[in-house]
Amino acid sequence: KSSMKESKSSFKQQQNNDQVSPFTYSKLFDPEADWDKDQLGDVLHWIRQLVGLFCGLFCGAVPLVGGIWVLGFLAISSGIIYGYYSLILKVDEEDFGGHGALLQEGLFASLTLFLLCWILGYSLAHF
Amino acid sequence: MASMFSSSKFSDSLTVVGVSLCSAVICEAISWILIYRTSSYKSLRSSIDKASRKLESMKTTTDSLKLTTKKSKTKKMDRVETSLKESSRDLFFFKFKSGAVVAIVLIVVFGLLNSLFEGKPVAKLPFTPIWIVKSMSHRGLQGSDLTDCSMAFLYFLCSISIRTNLQKFLGFAPPRGAANPGLFPMPDQKTS
Repeated sequence: KSSMKESKSSFKQQQNNDQVSPFTYSKLFDPEADWDKDQLGDVLHWIRQLVGLFCGLFCGAVPLVGGIWVLGFLAISSGIIYGYYSLILKVDEEDFGGHGALLQEGLFASLTLFLLCWILGYSLAHF
Repeated sequence: MASMFSSSKFSDSLTVVGVSLCSAVICEAISWILIYRTSSYKSLRSSIDKASRKLESMKTTTDSLKLTTKKSKTKKMDRVETSLKESSRDLFFFKFKSGAVVAIVLIVVFGLLNSLFEGKPVAKLPFTPIWIVKSMSHRGLQGSDLTDCSMAFLYFLCSISIRTNLQKFLGFAPPRGAANPGLFPMPDQKTS
């Protein structure tokens, strides 16, 4: 069973390297779409940035106070990314370097963007 | 809404963000002129992308091969990996030389902001910073209120978030296959 999965994975990777369709917005919710590492990585990066932007503005507006919300943001954004590529896109993470590689796409930039929006929103709206 | 923000106690934070955004655009313009539009950069980038794709496809097909074919495939993979490392190192040094100009611009901008906002909190942190963050977030500020935010920390957050995303948007982000060899790269054990 594992050798069958490996050969399927290697065939799919070969296919990915040779003939991946160019990016279109319809691919974002298509579990049958072909992805290459760069395309998927870029999509996950921008999703993380949007989550960081909205979470930061929301936390600043309410306001939510306390360092625990940094951990909350990391958990929520990672959960959204994981849910997106495993449940919606249904990609095999082994083809793209494993869960670690996919979950770290845009992580640090989104964390700094979240902190920036949170601090700005809190400072400007409540003082 | 604009008048609400401008009359806020911490409206200086918008100045810091605005200056950071402008400096990021200027730095990327300088980088484009000195680095990204040159044929050397384009060819290095292309060779890194090709080598990393080739290495990935070789790694996935190696496991299912016979032992003798596997050995020759592994040697080929080592050669591709060495070529990838060399191209990554060349790219690093190429960008390093031109990056000095960008660094000077950033130092000048930081110095300007520092002279404008030294000793003055530009924002309020919605959390108490941990010791690693505290030295930057409370840099140059009087008083014991650790939730006062200095220009340095806000500028740091702006720089990372704005520049990273601007580079990504413009297509100037470093290729995923390129490893950072550092200033003192170790010789490759496999080829020696």
